Amino acid sequence: MATMAGVNLSTPRVLAKIADSPKAQPIKSPWLNNPWKRPTQITYGRIYMQPLRAAPDSISEKVVESIKNAEEACEGDPASGECVAAWDEVEELSAAASHARDKKKDSDPLENYCKDNPETDECRTYED
Amino acid sequence: MAVCTVYTTQSLNSTCSIYTPTKTHLGFHQRQVFFYSSSKRSSKQRSNSRPFVITCAGVGGDSQTVVIGLAADSGCGKSTFMRRLTSVFGGAAEPPKGGNPDSNTLISDTTTVICLDDYHSLDRTGRKEKGVTALDPTANDFDLMYEQVKALKQGIAVDKPIYNHVTGLLDPPEVIKPPKILVIEGLHPMYDPRVRDLLDFSIYLDISNEVKFAWKIQRDMAERGHSLESIKASIEARKPDFDAYIDPQKQYADAVIEVLPTQLIPDDNEGKVLRVRLIMKEGVKHFSPVYLFDEGSTISWIPCGRKLTCSYPGIKFSYGPDSYFAHEVSILEMDGQFDRLDELIYVESHLSNISTKFYGEVTQQMLKHSDFPGSNNGTGLFQTIVGLKIRDLYEQLTSSKAAAPVEATKA
Repeated sequence: MATMAGVNLSTPRVLAKIADSPKAQPIKSPWLNNPWKRPTQITYGRIYMQPLRAAPDSISEKVVESIKNAEEACEGDPASGECVAAWDEVEELSAAASHARDKKKDSDPLENYCKDNPETDECRTYED
Repeated sequence: MAVCTVYTTQSLNSTCSIYTPTKTHLGFHQRQVFFYSSSKRSSKQRSNSRPFVITCAGVGGDSQTVVIGLAADSGCGKSTFMRRLTSVFGGAAEPPKGGNPDSNTLISDTTTVICLDDYHSLDRTGRKEKGVTALDPTANDFDLMYEQVKALKQGIAVDKPIYNHVTGLLDPPEVIKPPKILVIEGLHPMYDPRVRDLLDFSIYLDISNEVKFAWKIQRDMAERGHSLESIKASIEARKPDFDAYIDPQKQYADAVIEVLPTQLIPDDNEGKVLRVRLIMKEGVKHFSPVYLFDEGSTISWIPCGRKLTCSYPGIKFSYGPDSYFAHEVSILEMDGQFDRLDELIYVESHLSNISTKFYGEVTQQMLKHSDFPGSNNGTGLFQTIVGLKIRDLYEQLTSSKAAAPVEATKA
């Protein structure tokens, strides 16, 4: 199983995501349940965990594969339709992978839940 | 005149008034008002049966939905522009709730953004077999694109196919209801003359080769399998089709945002500092170009000096009349980037005709989305301004429609 790289735990969004994910590795942090008290100066190293959704990783696989295919397709004739179409596929998949990364950044399960259920305990916000 | 009972389903502007003909060059050429009743949706893909359409011929009219076209190559900032645009219109645009998670559509209270890749007639395998790119018109179904955009403009819901960018397949269609503002974004919004005529406003994002390369490195280098060579090879392989089918569309755009390397730093090719030009067509109804200091004059302006201190390499603006594909245009150009808030507000206060509703609205929008790419340079500034101009155009179009029936009763 591929791991998801590059998750920066210094953002509260990801913290919430980890709290939500049964697959996440145990992380002992007092800020997990009190993200609003999280000191801003602390930065974590990269922490690897199971992906919540496999889609972005499967896109990554497809990007790798498509580049290989394109390189092969162009060996004979770099101007052939086959070669051009293969590189176009690389572009399409690379764009999709980039969009998937953006989506992942934006999707926070707790925030999504609270949008629909603002009155629940989990979604209360406190003033200091 | 026959009395038609009309149930417009989704249009927020729903109305069955009969308008006086409004003659504009923006494509309101329909001489018919389409009324339809009771059907929840005109669920026809490649439809040959139109449910309950009554054509009241001879009555001049136009429709409720304002249609905007945005053209650009893949990886050239369409998504960012869409986010800025929908933010200016108010409300966040989100994918349709409960639908296909790979849907390309974004919906907000006022606006629906559809991706024209959904009109691919050849899926990924089909293109591979035929040896054609997605840029090639033969890989796209312009008849269906035209039919559906036309239907939406007339206030009729459509079942639009979904092109799945992950699998490369065409998924089952999704229902698109006619919004107040419909944005069609993709590779070919101005390619087909019939679709082009439906557009009330059109924008082309023209990214120079140097900048395109720099942006794609930024986007793809972290992705496994990619290298400088693969990024370069992909751009070069697609270039002939891009030049043949995508680039020529810019001549039809009402506004072009050109993104070039800076001229402030000699021989800079890092693509970090950008020179951005906003090319605005003159004589477009409901769209009056932005200007700097004196409309129609030629101006070069370096705001950094005694009043405003800027860091290296500074900011340079220019403005003036010009011609673009034999059209009369105004061009506003910004080279350099904003490093501080007061620079942005200073610049905003010196621009005229930017269609803001209050002082500092441009700055507010830019700050709100400071995490978007380009928020400190001309791409973010001009995208925001174009968003404000489109909001203004929409308001003018809808108020002129509201006024039309009144005029009709007077006549």
